[in-house]
Amino acid sequence: MSEQTSILDKKRPDGSADILLDAQDVKVHFPIKRGVIFDRTVGYVYAVDGMTLQINRGETYGLVGESGCGKSTFGRALLRLEEPTAGTVAFDGTDLSSLKGETLRKQRRNMQMVFQDPLSSLDPRQTVEALLLEGMRAHGLTKDKTAAHARLRELLSAVGLPEAALKKYPHEFSGGQRQRIGIARALSVDPQLIVADEPVSALDVSVQAQVINLLEDVQEQFGLTYLVIAHDLAVVRHISDRVGVMYLGALVEEADADDLYAMPLHPYTRALMSAVPIPDPQVEDRRERIILAGDLPSPAAPPNGCRFHTRCPWRQETKCDTERPQLREVRIEGVPATHRVACHFAEEIQSGALQPHSVTPTIVDPDADRPRPDIVEDGAPGADPFPDARPPGV
Amino acid sequence: MSAAAYEPEVRAGDSLLSVRDLVVEFGGKGRPTFRAVDGVSFDVGPGQTIGLVGESGCGKSVTSLAIMGLLPARGNKVAGSATFDGTDLLTLDQREMSDRRGRDIAMIFQDPLSSLNPVVPIGVQVAEVMQRHQGLKKAQAMQESRLLLDRVGIPDPARRLKEYPHQLSGGMRQRALIAMALACKPRLLIADEPTTALDVTIQAQILEVLRELVVDSGTALIMITHDLGVVAGLCDEVNVMYAGRIVESASRHEIFARPEHPYTHGLLGSIPRLDGTRAGALHAIPGSVADNIPWTGGCAFAPRCTNATAICREQSPALEADPTGIPDHLLRCHHPILPGTDSTHE
Repeated sequence: MSEQTSILDKKRPDGSADILLDAQDVKVHFPIKRGVIFDRTVGYVYAVDGMTLQINRGETYGLVGESGCGKSTFGRALLRLEEPTAGTVAFDGTDLSSLKGETLRKQRRNMQMVFQDPLSSLDPRQTVEALLLEGMRAHGLTKDKTAAHARLRELLSAVGLPEAALKKYPHEFSGGQRQRIGIARALSVDPQLIVADEPVSALDVSVQAQVINLLEDVQEQFGLTYLVIAHDLAVVRHISDRVGVMYLGALVEEADADDLYAMPLHPYTRALMSAVPIPDPQVEDRRERIILAGDLPSPAAPPNGCRFHTRCPWRQETKCDTERPQLREVRIEGVPATHRVACHFAEEIQSGALQPHSVTPTIVDPDADRPRPDIVEDGAPGADPFPDARPPGV
Repeated sequence: MSAAAYEPEVRAGDSLLSVRDLVVEFGGKGRPTFRAVDGVSFDVGPGQTIGLVGESGCGKSVTSLAIMGLLPARGNKVAGSATFDGTDLLTLDQREMSDRRGRDIAMIFQDPLSSLNPVVPIGVQVAEVMQRHQGLKKAQAMQESRLLLDRVGIPDPARRLKEYPHQLSGGMRQRALIAMALACKPRLLIADEPTTALDVTIQAQILEVLRELVVDSGTALIMITHDLGVVAGLCDEVNVMYAGRIVESASRHEIFARPEHPYTHGLLGSIPRLDGTRAGALHAIPGSVADNIPWTGGCAFAPRCTNATAICREQSPALEADPTGIPDHLLRCHHPILPGTDSTHE
């Protein structure tokens, strides 16, 4: 154990800057192709559209958002598993986008990933031993056989699996144990950053807690930095130091976990939090829900201006649909500078100067790859908040 | 309620569906049988919502499939009774059952895409139910279908009627499925993880539709879910299932305020909460369902239980009234976590 942490320490430049990962204006656009003979590009899916975030060494950054918001694509783009269309990602001072071939491969040792579905991310024909050794071999960490095997044992004990697990195959384990193997594999090459994409969402509730606790334990033990990508706000709040909320390819709010959950400022964050069921009937009975109208717009045809304006109960006619808000500090009593929000009217909403109005849901085609000119929407103030759910004739 | 063994009182005119000692066994020639549901009993009345809660493999979905008569004809054995409005559903033959399904009892499933026919427009699929059960003409059924889609909150229903399931988003598909379930104004709706595949903001919309349905039309609702948060906001009564049996049953306020079964207690302790303080490590339940022992030889949960003693591995606990005398709080445990004796969780 102590041996491994010391290797890690040596790699760290002394007194280095706090920022381990620095992503600037990252964009990932996927082309939409049409045509039988000629592949014409007829449009783009704007999966990630201008993400800027920094992750400090040793912290856990939680990225939350609903499906289709681009959070997974962003995680993959950070590790260059997905080629970013624009923007830069600097890891420990090195610009990853400038790296190629062997240098990029070597750099990968420092950045590992834990996937959502442990069964499909583990080769069914490899034993746990082979799975764990493969990455280590690729990075030349198995030259000393005894040291490599000591390392294997250490990994297994770190993730709470018996040594006998080495000779078994992935199908012989339960979901929670498989996720432990996935974590051990990520740890095997002694990385600095682990990107965990929905690490617990495929697991049962009681097992989720075990894996969350494990992630926290190994972070302390190996001095890791995490980017945890998840849709479950409660999980993210529990595990993260800082949290970023994503909507349609970009951050809408970013803050220390406690600040964000104490005072969500962006209308989307508010709605998201009010929608999460809380296992306490007394809280459930008296809380006010902001129920958003309609679905997430298609990332192939994102709305102009603020991405959220089509569903926002606080939307204003002045600039929400024309001017895209950037992450900014707000002038609100008691809100620290680290709490940033991409909303034109965050102050007015917080002070109550702006009141929510009703929103007519717009039609969203899940695989729309073209803008729909026939979308009409208007917010009639004073109407009931759920206009389409009334029985006919009421 | 001080009786030792659990004998649910039959409240006259109160219960719409009354399930008694439901047992479902799977297995075939030469293979050992597996008891997925083991003596489950519960009641649900009009306008009432009851929750069946548990983790994967606890038998909650099999319970609902057995009630609906949707289990495959071969390879399983169903025993017990499910009395709906005076008729035992389990004794009906295929034809009688399909007359009831969709008319009196409807069900919505977790994955709306695989529950909808991909090559039929959703309007037609909704209309079909009314043509089959209410003998409506096609045009009339389509008209009703439009109203239903409107009622469950699908924008621009006239156009959506003609669209196919793949053209709808996940939330809209689930709404379409609910519209189908509501088509004949069923008296009982069984919702099997209806929001698990959806995002939280969409989940909130769907739960709102279900809530209104129960309040406005007095439909009885059986909510099957693994999410205790959903249960806390929706169900009047909660049944927690583990390894095929109900281990704790109480009103929602009671069960969340005083979870007495170590499993329920553990489940609540292992969920990170959005409100309250961010305390250190979560109180995970050790092990996994693979560690269970069969109910016949003791308590299935014993290997994972912090309160377990020798008796838990030898004697199967019965579902009994709460030892502190709280009415309608039932418990299957030798060593419940009672107020004041709390040793595992703060």
